[in-house]
Amino acid sequence: MRNYLKQIRTILWKDLLVEFRTRERLIAMGAFVVLVAILFNYATDWARVSPEDIASGLVWMTIMFAGLLGVGRTFHLEAEDGAFQGILMSPVPKDAIFIAKALANFVFLYIMALLVVGVFIFFFGLEVGGSFGMLTLVIALGVLAFVALGTLFTAVSTGTRMGDTLLPVLIFPLLAPVVIYGTGATSQFLAGRPVTEAEGSIRMLAAFALTAFFLGSWLFRFVVED
Amino acid sequence: MSTKKILLAGTMLAMIGLVWLGVVYWMSFFWVSTEVTQGIAQRIFYVHVPAAWTSFLAFGLAALFSGMYLWLRDERLDRAAVSAAEGGMVFATIMLTTGPLWGKIAWGTYWTWEPRLTLTLLLWFIFLGYFLVRSSTENPEKGKRHAAVVAIVGALDIPFIHLSVIWFRSLHPAPVVIKPEGPTLPGDMLTTLLMSLGAFTVLFLGLFLLRYSLENLRSELDTRSRHASV
Repeated sequence: MRNYLKQIRTILWKDLLVEFRTRERLIAMGAFVVLVAILFNYATDWARVSPEDIASGLVWMTIMFAGLLGVGRTFHLEAEDGAFQGILMSPVPKDAIFIAKALANFVFLYIMALLVVGVFIFFFGLEVGGSFGMLTLVIALGVLAFVALGTLFTAVSTGTRMGDTLLPVLIFPLLAPVVIYGTGATSQFLAGRPVTEAEGSIRMLAAFALTAFFLGSWLFRFVVED
Repeated sequence: MSTKKILLAGTMLAMIGLVWLGVVYWMSFFWVSTEVTQGIAQRIFYVHVPAAWTSFLAFGLAALFSGMYLWLRDERLDRAAVSAAEGGMVFATIMLTTGPLWGKIAWGTYWTWEPRLTLTLLLWFIFLGYFLVRSSTENPEKGKRHAAVVAIVGALDIPFIHLSVIWFRSLHPAPVVIKPEGPTLPGDMLTTLLMSLGAFTVLFLGLFLLRYSLENLRSELDTRSRHASV
């Protein structure tokens, strides 16, 4: 068990270190988020709708699209110089590789998702108020579900001719519950409703995230075996 | 069972299914009484509901065979999975085209975010992904494994999608959704529906076996041509 955790930590640390040195993915996702918000500004008639009414939907869609950019790169670095074969041949269990990869994605996407909320507060004067803590929890659960399915299916789509183009086709139908419960809970927070009303959505989101994570770590071995 | 026998059984079943389907069409156009409130448009129900049932059966079988394929690695299970999935796509497409046609008349709109509609559409896309993964993977062996993973995750995701789309509806009630049918269906309508369910199921099983034997023949051809080239 101790060894297992150490293996996860090693791969996770490697991914984080590479990313924080190059900052490629974070810069690309961050720029994407801000640019999308700028375009949203012109795509929306703010005289007619208030940010609170549509922000929850826009926040979640931005997270989904930016997340797609982020997870799509999960295996690129390894694929380019054949290092992935090395990881697969090392005595690390496949599920440990999956968990480490998914957790690294989680760190990047969670930073990006918090940036999305920040951008909406900054640009559109979104009032988050006292529910900020709960909002970060809901986003964490949504991002966890996203990276679980995203990491699994990036491993699938990287091996196809279509590459990253295939990824949204594979994961968007599966992630419908994340958008539905995530948006539901977020809009209740933004409307200033008590947290207890969003409890059902939060629980479902947590159940979904855990299921997705277990499924991913179980099925990953079938995706990468050669 | 040999491929020849499966091919024969498939052809027989498909023929029976087609003739039976002809009877069902006759029944639903001429025999069954017209529903009072929805009028003639309700007759599409005898195609729509059996198509829905058959597609769910087919997708369920596809996921089951996929899971067994990953476990046992028997080529035949993969062939069965892809045959069932293809049948599922066909019948889901029938359901997704007949539904809006009826909806336009009964609900006044082609599409509502009714849970069953949304679920079917998402399911259709999940299996579109299944076929795209299969066809765009260079190594067929890998493509089979990856597609099986898509089918399994899809099947296990269905309960969540189902719950979430229902939950979404309870938040936003749609305006004029008439419940299509009560639990009690008049006798002749029930008979027509059950006949149609039978016809669609038999037709699907026939097509499934035909498709399966086609896959068998394909792999046999593949093996022979490889031997010939060596």
